[in-house]
Amino acid sequence: MKNISIYKPTSVEEAIEILSRHGTEAGVYAGGTDLLIRLKNRLTQAPTYLVDIKHIDNLHYIKEDEQGGVRIGAATKIAEVANSDLLKKKYPMFVQATNMISSPELRNASTIGGDLLQEVWCQYLRGGYSCWRNGGHICYGAIGDNSYYHSAMGGRLCYAVYPGDAATALIPYDATAKLATPAGPRELSIEHLVPGDMMVDGRIQSHVVRYNEILTEVLIPAPKPNVRASFEKLRPRGVWDFAMASLAMTLELQGQTIVDSRVVFGGISGKPLRETAVENFLKGKTLNADLKDQAMAAALANAAPLKYNAMKIDMAKGLLASGLVKLSTSAATA
Amino acid sequence: MQPVEAILFEPVGCLAEFPAEPFLEIASRVFGRERKPSQSGSRAYWHLLNLMESADRNLHVSELELIESLELQAVSGAAIYEDVVPALSELKAMNIQLFMASSLSHTAISRFLDGYSLRQLFSGAWDRDNSHGIKLGPIQATMASANLKFDRTMFLTDTIEGLKAAGACGVHPIAMMNDPDEGRRLAMHNPAGGIVSLHELPDFIRLLVAENAR
Repeated sequence: MKNISIYKPTSVEEAIEILSRHGTEAGVYAGGTDLLIRLKNRLTQAPTYLVDIKHIDNLHYIKEDEQGGVRIGAATKIAEVANSDLLKKKYPMFVQATNMISSPELRNASTIGGDLLQEVWCQYLRGGYSCWRNGGHICYGAIGDNSYYHSAMGGRLCYAVYPGDAATALIPYDATAKLATPAGPRELSIEHLVPGDMMVDGRIQSHVVRYNEILTEVLIPAPKPNVRASFEKLRPRGVWDFAMASLAMTLELQGQTIVDSRVVFGGISGKPLRETAVENFLKGKTLNADLKDQAMAAALANAAPLKYNAMKIDMAKGLLASGLVKLSTSAATA
Repeated sequence: MQPVEAILFEPVGCLAEFPAEPFLEIASRVFGRERKPSQSGSRAYWHLLNLMESADRNLHVSELELIESLELQAVSGAAIYEDVVPALSELKAMNIQLFMASSLSHTAISRFLDGYSLRQLFSGAWDRDNSHGIKLGPIQATMASANLKFDRTMFLTDTIEGLKAAGACGVHPIAMMNDPDEGRRLAMHNPAGGIVSLHELPDFIRLLVAENAR
């Protein structure tokens, strides 16, 4: 592992100043469950200057706001999110998803901000191949074993899937993220935070956060009444694995009529993939298990599987079917 | 890698899927090689170029006419990739100079460019006849005629021979990875880069600019 320097700022402003000073050579260090592995893997893009934000007080909280929503500090541990009574009461689907992130040990270390902004886990990148994200100009996943970590929905340059579960589960709640930037705070939707395979500061990354910006907070609006939600995740092992495919879905009902919905797939694309074709199909329909066949037919029409991962599309459609069946029989809850 | 100012294309396998049969027939009738059951037009084409390169005699006029005739058949049977026009148009709008650098005959290249209305996208076209050579010949002729910088020029190819030709000329060899299995073989020859689809080229160019500005 290369020599590194660690800064321990005590305010967001100080952290931004350090990040600005060192440019893309610096990186935010919180839980370390992604960053330290990137360093150990000797990846070209791993930072030399770590800006440890754990000593900044106002990044670590879960609190209800005046509008009935919940604000989560970016440095809050995944385990704290997963065990929060407030979040369990208001957003049980999100809590369910966070309980399926990684292992209990890693959930104790990793943060919600880190989960949202983590680097992809393509085995070629992590194995030190000189790919688009590691100083090279080729995607080995597109031509190699792409059965697990790679997109079945096409790519831009890098074909790795976005690996996080939290973003997939937050998008259906219309959650937003707050960034601290040199020009002041900026707020954007989670969907816009992780649009997948972006060129930012001369690098390929899954999110839009620049080198001198810090994700400070996740804001989830107050839960809407009469919303049913589900999260399902298929993974190679029963515990501790990334999604082969996942689905976070919310259905807003008037009686049994679906008036609005969010359908977001994880593990199949370079971003949490909001499937508006299915959302449009569901609008105005009466919720029942028979919707599943037509919903599956409407889903993922732009699928572009690589050589070894066409089954991801079948898995994703299967999750859509099982999610609709489950919600058609469940009691109303978000 | 420096920001790129020019891209050279071998159309066979990079801009269109060419049938293998006409190239295999040339190899059989002119060079006496048994036909191989290759389905790849690119492999058959570069195999033929190897035969041409290693021929120890001047070809007879009738043989040259046969080659040209069968190459025209290949052009007629070629299926242009759907992303050629949008990707090349975007590159041209980015002020990237585009050149045809092919070992096909002048007649075949003209038929290809005009048949698919591609001529306006290219700053020039060099072929076997006007460059007086194959493989390295069209690349070298392009570089000399357009006064291009070697470290700012790419040659796109989908064969190992093409990568070697580009490397020998001093330009960046970029693998066009149409097929995953062939892509893995190409990647083992250390190309300067590789793309799965032509629509990735503009982003490739933008990333190089951004990397160099960092």
